Order: sequence, then C-alpha cells, then structure tokens
Amino acid sequence: MKLAVLSESPADEAAIAVLVEAVLKRKFTRVQPSLRARGWPSVAQVLPSIIRHLHFNTDADGLVVVVDSDDSVVHTAPHEAPEYYHPMCRMCQLRAIFRQTMKKLPPAHGRDRVLRGVGIAVPAVEAWYLCGLEETVTEANWIAGQEAQQSPYTRRELKARTYGTERPTLQQETEIAVREARRHAHDTRRLEYDFPGFAALAKDLRAWPQIG
Amino acid sequence: MIASVAFRNFKALRSTSLTLSPFNLVIGPNGSGKTSLIQAILQLRTLARLPLRDAHAEAERRPEGAEITFRFQPPHDGLEASLSCVSDKMCDLLQIIPLTTGEGVDDWAGLKARLFTVRSYLFDHEAIAVPSPSKDQGELAANGGNLAPVLDARRRNHPEAFARLTAELFRILPEYDEIDFIELPGGVMDLKLRIADENEWLISRSLSQGTLYVLALLALVFDPAPPAIVCIEELDRGVHPRMLREMRDLLYRLSYPKETGADNTPVQVIATTHSPYLLDLFRDHPEEVVITEKHGATARFTRLDECADLTNVLSSGSLGDLWFSGVIGGVPEDK
Repeated sequence: MKLAVLSESPADEAAIAVLVEAVLKRKFTRVQPSLRARGWPSVAQVLPSIIRHLHFNTDADGLVVVVDSDDSVVHTAPHEAPEYYHPMCRMCQLRAIFRQTMKKLPPAHGRDRVLRGVGIAVPAVEAWYLCGLEETVTEANWIAGQEAQQSPYTRRELKARTYGTERPTLQQETEIAVREARRHAHDTRRLEYDFPGFAALAKDLRAWPQIG
Repeated sequence: MIASVAFRNFKALRSTSLTLSPFNLVIGPNGSGKTSLIQAILQLRTLARLPLRDAHAEAERRPEGAEITFRFQPPHDGLEASLSCVSDKMCDLLQIIPLTTGEGVDDWAGLKARLFTVRSYLFDHEAIAVPSPSKDQGELAANGGNLAPVLDARRRNHPEAFARLTAELFRILPEYDEIDFIELPGGVMDLKLRIADENEWLISRSLSQGTLYVLALLALVFDPAPPAIVCIEELDRGVHPRMLREMRDLLYRLSYPKETGADNTPVQVIATTHSPYLLDLFRDHPEEVVITEKHGATARFTRLDECADLTNVLSSGSLGDLWFSGVIGGVPEDK
C-alpha cells in the first residue's frame, strides 16, 4: 500500500505514520517527496492540487491529511448528518474539498480515486501525544472551554507539556511525537474515545478496501 | 544582554524604542531600520572599546542630533549607555549613566567586556568559497570568509565542540558524511565535504550556497566561546523553506540553551529576514518577532505581540501570509 501524508512538520508526519499503520494494522510505503503544508488555510488551498497530483502523477492508494483545529469550530456528531456542512469546521471543509475535487477526476493508474483519511487534532496534535498522560487534555474539555470562552490550555502550553519546553528542536519534537504515537499504537481506543478528530481518521482508514 | 534600545533622530528612526528578547526576528520593508538596529549595536561595541568621552563633550552635544539609548539585562540593569552626536558626521559620544535601581552600577568594565564580543554577520557564499589565509583562525569573519581556517582550528583546539558541530551538520545535511580541510599553495586553506556513500569530495566552490550558510551558522552555534550578542542579516538566504526550521532551531540553541539541551551561555540573537516561511515558524512566539514600519521618512519598531487582536488575526491564516497581506504591518508603502 502506498500512501501520502499531508501534515505541518516532519515530526507530525512521523507520528501520524505510526498511528495510521496501527489503525490499518499494516505497513505502508510513503509517496516521495513528502508533502507539507504551512498550516491552515494553506492546507485547504493546496489540497485540491495535491489530490489531483496524487491521482494522475503517482500510484498512491490514499492520502492522509491531519491538521490542527486551532481555535476553529470543532467537528461534532451533528456535523455528520447527511448534507450538513459547517463552514468554520475544518473537518467539514477538508471533506468537502476531497469530495468536490475527486468527483471531477477520471480513473487513473487503475483506480477510481485516491482514498481519503482526514483527522483533526483538537486544538493541536500535541493533545494527541498527551492523551492518556493528562486526564484534562481531551477534545470534550476543549469544546467545554470554547463554550465557556475559557480555553483549558493553550497550544503553547500543550507544546511545553509535551516536549518539556516551548522551543523543542525538530529532533526532540520528532522523538517525542513518535514515542507517544507508538504508545497509542498498542491500543488506539483511548485516543479514539478522547479525540473524535482522531476517531474520524481511524474510521476513514478502516473503511478503505483491502489493497495489495 | 540588551534589554531595550531607544532611538531619536538616528537615520529613519526618528523616535522609537524596542524591548529586546533573547531571540529577535526582525521583519519589515527595505530601508525601515532593520540594519540600522544592528548598526547601532555595532556602534556601541566600537565605542565601548574607546575611552569614554570627556565631560565637556556633553556640552558639544547637539540637542537635535541622533541619540541611541541602551538599557541592559541583569547583571548590568543598573547602567544605561547613551550614544549621541557631537556633529553631523561624528556620532561618537558614549556616555554611561548609572541608574537609581538595578545591578552592576560600578561594573562598566564587565559590561564593556561583554559588548566587545558582539558580532554581526551577513554570510556571503562567494567569500566563503574562496580559500582564505590559513592563519585567519580567530573569529568567524562577518561574511564567513574565513570559515575553513576557523573550523580547522576548531577541530584541533576544541575537538568535542567540533564533533558536535559535524554530528549536527551530517544530521541536517545527510548527503554528506565527512568534512576535511586542504592546505593550498600560498598559505590558504579550503574545506571539503564528502558525499555520503561515495568516495567523492566537494570543495567549497562546488558546494551549494545553502550548504555553505548552514556550515557558517553551525560554526557560530558551536563556538566554544560564544559572543554575548549575534546579529545575523538575511537568515533565510540560500536556504530551502523546509530547512528553515533547522536554522531556527540552531539559533534557539544559542538563545535558549537550557530549553534545547545545549550547555552554552545564553546568546542574544537578532536576526533579520524577508521570508514569510521563516516567519511562519514564530506563530507560537509572537513576542520574538519585531516589525519595522516605515511611513514616509520615519521608521519605527513594534513587536508582533503588541498587535491588537492578535489571537483572532492569527486564527485566519499563516503568519507569513498575514505579513505579506499587510494585516500585521511591516510592508512597503504604496507609491
């Protein structure tokens, strides 16, 4: 299986690869060169081109996209209703981009479309790394904080708690991200329960047909 | 080291001040005072080497002339340094003023010793690629021109620091796995890097600009006797956008050694850039970004964290895009 991962840093990409393999229960090969985004809204801007590129110019089976929610509207159960689209929800936006881009594409490289895997880390991917280590770091707590207009933690605090510093080097960040992803890889149920933005990615991946 | 700088009538900096952090990324249009900030610090270093001017020079000082006032971090927060002009062409009156509070009131000598170490760089790959005199092994030159003899001396005199430097070099640029130095006729020296898994060496003239700049930056970062302040102009020069994170991380090693696991004395860094990609990396640290603005003939400094409604502004786009758009300032005026 050949996959492309679109993320914001090599550290995220390395950790996401571990999590994706854990959910798929198989290894995959990464499309080269690796894809990178400059954060939102760049992801939304470059995604149609990336999908088209992967579809026509590569033999990639799927594309995994993981972005931070930052302070945007969090994707919740009502958003899953048919035809529902929340313009401020990044999950809704990314899924819509996939849908609209792929419906215009003719088959290529022996497949109808590049498979989609979208995850939203609320509010940042470091929250996933802290999952199970810090009870208060959950998507539900973040949403409750948003509703009360008092965030339970900031992105900067999450970074400091995850890496032990607000200014980790890329090397430190990668080591810790991969270590925490491997911790979850043994059993992703807690991460899926505490972070529906990860559960959505896992659901996408599990819905993929068996390839290879 | 330097806590703040206040300018009056210094080039375009008519009346503005700036609080400095351990790390400072300065962005803004051309001619808006980025280089003037660095020049002012270098002028302070130059004048600190000279005897302080006589008291009667104060009487010669032109009230409307340029004045730059520096305040310092502990252990020298009890001193103020004031640079001012005695004529149109002579801005060389340095006064050291004891403040009513703060440490180090009597330690101008200690502060002066730290100021002597201030260094400023604008790396030039052409200068680095030309073999330089083997004897030129002291400080890295402002354009990086003597990189080969400096690194060669580092290898001989500070093998541990050199080993850390090369380990970092080969991690950042895994296409290479060995560095060596060549004595050439005429008493000059060049450096060469070996392509990993091949027995092919590239001399500096055959290396890319970016590779030479990374090497020069590593020479600074792993200096066993680091300066108090390092100013680097055009930090992003010649470096691929995806490599900029490594460049930032290297400089963070200087400014925040404890946070990055390094063991050097903290070095204050002032870097300038025109790269939105480099700026993107400071989204979580707006306090480290200095924006220079120019309106007509007047320039001023603001810090990004002083921008009104910053959280909401940042939620709508990448910092680099926001800068380009003009939302956070620091863009050229329309003609």
